[in-house]
Amino acid sequence: MTLRGRATLALIWGVFVTAVLIGVPLVFRDRLPDPLATHWNGTGVPDGHMSFAANLLFTLLFWGVAWIVLMVLALRGPTLSTRLGRGCWCGFLFGWAVLSVGMQGSTLYVNLDLADWRQATLPTWQVIAVIVAAVATGVPAGLLGRGGPDPHHDPASPPIMRLRPGQRAVWVSRTTNHWLAGLFLVALVGVLATAVLAVTGVMSGGAVWINLAALSAAALLGFGTCSVRVRVDADGLRVGFGPLGRIARHTPVDRIESAWVETRSPAEVGGWGVRGLPGAGGRVTFMLRGGECLVIRRVTGGEFAVSVDDARNGAALLNAYVAERVDS
Amino acid sequence: MLLTLDLNDSRPLHEQVAGTIRRAIADGSYAPGDRLPPARDLADALGINANTVLRALRELRDEGLLEFRRGRGVSVLSRPDARAVLAEAARELLAEADRYGYGPEEVIHIIRELS
Repeated sequence: MTLRGRATLALIWGVFVTAVLIGVPLVFRDRLPDPLATHWNGTGVPDGHMSFAANLLFTLLFWGVAWIVLMVLALRGPTLSTRLGRGCWCGFLFGWAVLSVGMQGSTLYVNLDLADWRQATLPTWQVIAVIVAAVATGVPAGLLGRGGPDPHHDPASPPIMRLRPGQRAVWVSRTTNHWLAGLFLVALVGVLATAVLAVTGVMSGGAVWINLAALSAAALLGFGTCSVRVRVDADGLRVGFGPLGRIARHTPVDRIESAWVETRSPAEVGGWGVRGLPGAGGRVTFMLRGGECLVIRRVTGGEFAVSVDDARNGAALLNAYVAERVDS
Repeated sequence: MLLTLDLNDSRPLHEQVAGTIRRAIADGSYAPGDRLPPARDLADALGINANTVLRALRELRDEGLLEFRRGRGVSVLSRPDARAVLAEAARELLAEADRYGYGPEEVIHIIRELS
């Protein structure tokens, strides 16, 4: 399906979903209490309410924002140029619609023919059913709409250099994303603040642990992905994660088929950090900033890319070592 | 940064390291303002002592190619003009040759023999 075709599909589908989200509540308006119960606690007892208009607006925003984002992605940006991007796009377009309609439907259903919103109890099965229906729609839609596999675009002439006998050649480079480094610092401050609040007794109970777990995870993530150190030597490619580079991924020369340079952007690969699917036919990108990436193809078929400066020299040296290995 | 060391080269190691970094800057792999990888990374990759790399970096700083900034590491200050450097060296060589009674043609012949 072409980009234009996808945008048209999203437009028609979106108008249909929006019409359902507006039409159904209007049809049942006379049989609904005002305000409506719109939020429930864990046991299904209502603990929040909204007027009819506010609930309609909320539902429309819940669906509409996602719809607009998907429309923009279909019309602009390289998201749909990859199989993963197309799959996620299609999955969201249909899954999110089912989630929106399901949420609204279940809200209306439990409020129907009641005099007061406090009587509207929400059975747990309805929540589970709506989520299951959304996933059951989104996953097949994503699989059907993902299109063909990504083409392997080999450059016409991968860079290579000549190694002289008796020469030791290495290549090192490093990239840092200061935003992710900032995330690490902010999360670290958050962990310390939570710890101080817990010790002084201001915060207690489960909130402390939830905060600590979430902030520690963010800090670890920021620490591990804010910087990358890449090295090419006679042993192959070594990619060290984090400012210390202690955790490293090493690919020996005899596992590498070729290396080249490609320009990739975060929008293309789906964001920052480690992106993509591993495996024989998969491609993984370690994205810290848009631009020049060093890409390798393994002999098993998988692709690995890392965004790093001066990638041309790295690819040339790697190809030289690969060629030497093949020759000998 | 691409670094090459010749194992048969009799020059001191720090001079070789300075030479390979100078070449990386001259060929445009690193432009003025770019930060160099940390000395420790370079030393680890080459399998040599970090002090040797630091000595090479200090030499290049004294030549005006690099800039050391506290907390910001080492960055490229200016690009060496390779052709100008070579032309100057060649001029000195020709002057030296003239003193011994050799003309430019004979110097070219010597260079051909060497390369």
